[in-house]
Amino acid sequence: MLGQAIADGVLTGAIIALGAIGVSFGLQILRFANFAHSELLTWGAYIALVVVAFAGPGTPTGPLSFGWQMMAAMAVAAVLTGLLAWVMDQLVFRRLRNQGAHPLSLVFAAFGAALVMRYVVVLIWGPGTHFYTRELQFAVEVLPGIRMLPDQIFVLALTLAVVVALHLFLTYSRTGMAMRAMAESPALAKVCGVNVEGVTRWTWILSGALAAVAGTFLGLSPQVHPEMGFSLLLSLFAAAILGGAGSLPGAVIGGLLVGLAENVSVLFVDPGYKGAMPFLLLLAVLFVRPQGLFGEKQ
Amino acid sequence: MSVHKMLAALAGGVALTALLSVGGAGTAQAQGVACPVKIGGILPLTGSMAPITKKIAESAQLAVEHINAGGGVKGCPVQLVLRDDQGQPTVGVDAAKYLVEVERVPAITGTISSGVTGPIIASVTAPSRVVQISCCSTASAFTLDGRSQGYFFRTLPTSKTQAFATASEIAKRGLKKTAIIYVNTDFGIDMTRFVKEALPKLGGEITAEVAYNDNQPSYRAEVQRALAARPESLLLIGFPKDAVTIVREWLSLGGSPKIALNNSMRVKDFVDGVGARFLNEAFGMDNAQVQGPTVDAFNQAFLAKFGYDSQGPGVHTQYDAVMAIGLAMNIAKDLTGPSIKDAVRQIHAAGGATVGTGPDEFRKAVGLIREGKAIKYHGATGPLEFDANGDVTGPALVWKITNGEILVDYTISIEEMQALFKKVEG
Repeated sequence: MLGQAIADGVLTGAIIALGAIGVSFGLQILRFANFAHSELLTWGAYIALVVVAFAGPGTPTGPLSFGWQMMAAMAVAAVLTGLLAWVMDQLVFRRLRNQGAHPLSLVFAAFGAALVMRYVVVLIWGPGTHFYTRELQFAVEVLPGIRMLPDQIFVLALTLAVVVALHLFLTYSRTGMAMRAMAESPALAKVCGVNVEGVTRWTWILSGALAAVAGTFLGLSPQVHPEMGFSLLLSLFAAAILGGAGSLPGAVIGGLLVGLAENVSVLFVDPGYKGAMPFLLLLAVLFVRPQGLFGEKQ
Repeated sequence: MSVHKMLAALAGGVALTALLSVGGAGTAQAQGVACPVKIGGILPLTGSMAPITKKIAESAQLAVEHINAGGGVKGCPVQLVLRDDQGQPTVGVDAAKYLVEVERVPAITGTISSGVTGPIIASVTAPSRVVQISCCSTASAFTLDGRSQGYFFRTLPTSKTQAFATASEIAKRGLKKTAIIYVNTDFGIDMTRFVKEALPKLGGEITAEVAYNDNQPSYRAEVQRALAARPESLLLIGFPKDAVTIVREWLSLGGSPKIALNNSMRVKDFVDGVGARFLNEAFGMDNAQVQGPTVDAFNQAFLAKFGYDSQGPGVHTQYDAVMAIGLAMNIAKDLTGPSIKDAVRQIHAAGGATVGTGPDEFRKAVGLIREGKAIKYHGATGPLEFDANGDVTGPALVWKITNGEILVDYTISIEEMQALFKKVEG
């Protein structure tokens, strides 16, 4: 049972981690809590849905429930959602930033943007639920006592690949280095000649793209609906804060811990209280390390 | 004029229209009873419930007319003193206090919202030992947690009817080991409790009870926990959107396709969401429409009186709530709360002569009661028999899914449900 709970926790955690990376970047580089981030997950899932609607989920490849079309849909969704995030910044947050708005104003603007984005989804696609594929997969025993769906193993592997690629990007590319510099100290980065607008733009695009991948994964298990991102919002923030704002490994570990806290706790407490467990963990961590597990002391 | 006074005036007006004289008995003293006999009524005449209350109040008024035209209570005409609760607990409790302390009514009918009915039971009717019969409040705790001390009854079936029908169907299909996954709301908790009460007595076993909260991205943890004891079947109590996720994850993780579902899943969205081909062994329960001559008679009387049909929530159950009070008052040895409370249980006595709806049937009932004979009331909701807790049952239906079509498998009549209740509750 414990092995299965850990496997389930890692799977849920992987999706939360992908979403939490964007939240974490937002907290540290853009310096505000972007509550509209969860809607980017929803939008990513719906954009992929449109592609799938035209191309079809494809003939199942091997044990997976979808074909290459689904992968293409995810790529298109990542690009378009990245652009959408950037457009959102241009329309809403840039203006506020340039006028020196209070960080709290940005937070409330994010709430407003989130509502608008969610209801535009309802307006276009309706309030109902959609599915990428009608196929139903059956779990396979990967280790004794641990059953997983092939799709889930794929999601896990792809998440790992994305995180490694992102780590390399942040460590070795110029933009990645500039992003880390901004995260450390925006003022110092500016003095050193970092293009603040450029870094901001890349942060939004990357956050949006990662959110789209997370949203598509979320939609694969198993449905796409307008509140799908919103219902994950608190988990995303818990993961980002738990790991420490601005830290890539922090967001990933934070996401995994949130997923594990939810799934493993079910073995010991009533599942009705599952949703509270990540936050108890969050409180416990913050009491010991207020800056989060991987966060830097300011 | 304060709002309260205005409402009192409004309620007084309604009471006057409900008062009909019975053959000059208006001022007479009969059997030591002061005429007219007052019955309290509490309904949300204003507020968000007002649109559905109109017909319900009319139905109560019709019942009072039928009682009066059929001989009244112990020779006296009946007067319904109706007060507004505005759908608010404080106003409702105030109204109940007025009825009990000022009008001195021994019985009250009301109200709609469980949130108002609960405080009235706890702070007025139970402590004052006044009978209360509701048309519409479903919260199961009222009749189970002892707060009513037996003074509260209701004429609409609660989730218990559906839960017992579910347990019966699971047992009938020979499924010995069942896991329950239920939504963590009053509805889900109630249903689970009732199934748990019934299933072991009908030959089934519950291997796990797992609560779930709505709007989660995944329910793998809950499903794994339900699957741990390797059950033969799943009973899923919840709402369609999350149920789609749960059923798909259940099947993916190797759960049995023999799945029992509650009435909320009797929708196409659910079947399409899960995939019709995975649901050919699934089945579900729902409440069924009552039919019968006494129901038709009520419908016709309502149409003739008001000029529109009696369709709508609470209309039939409200008529029976008032009729039950009228019959019980005739049976009771005196018009005190405790006597009426005991008499409510005798309106549907085993071996009694069947009486139905309308003035003539009421007159027949009064005659039988005077002769000391037992009666068996069949009302606007069919045979009306309160169980040990003050609840009634209703007919249910079993539905199945065949190639994506939701079909009624068969219906369980109210008599069969009553037999099932007796089997479970002893």
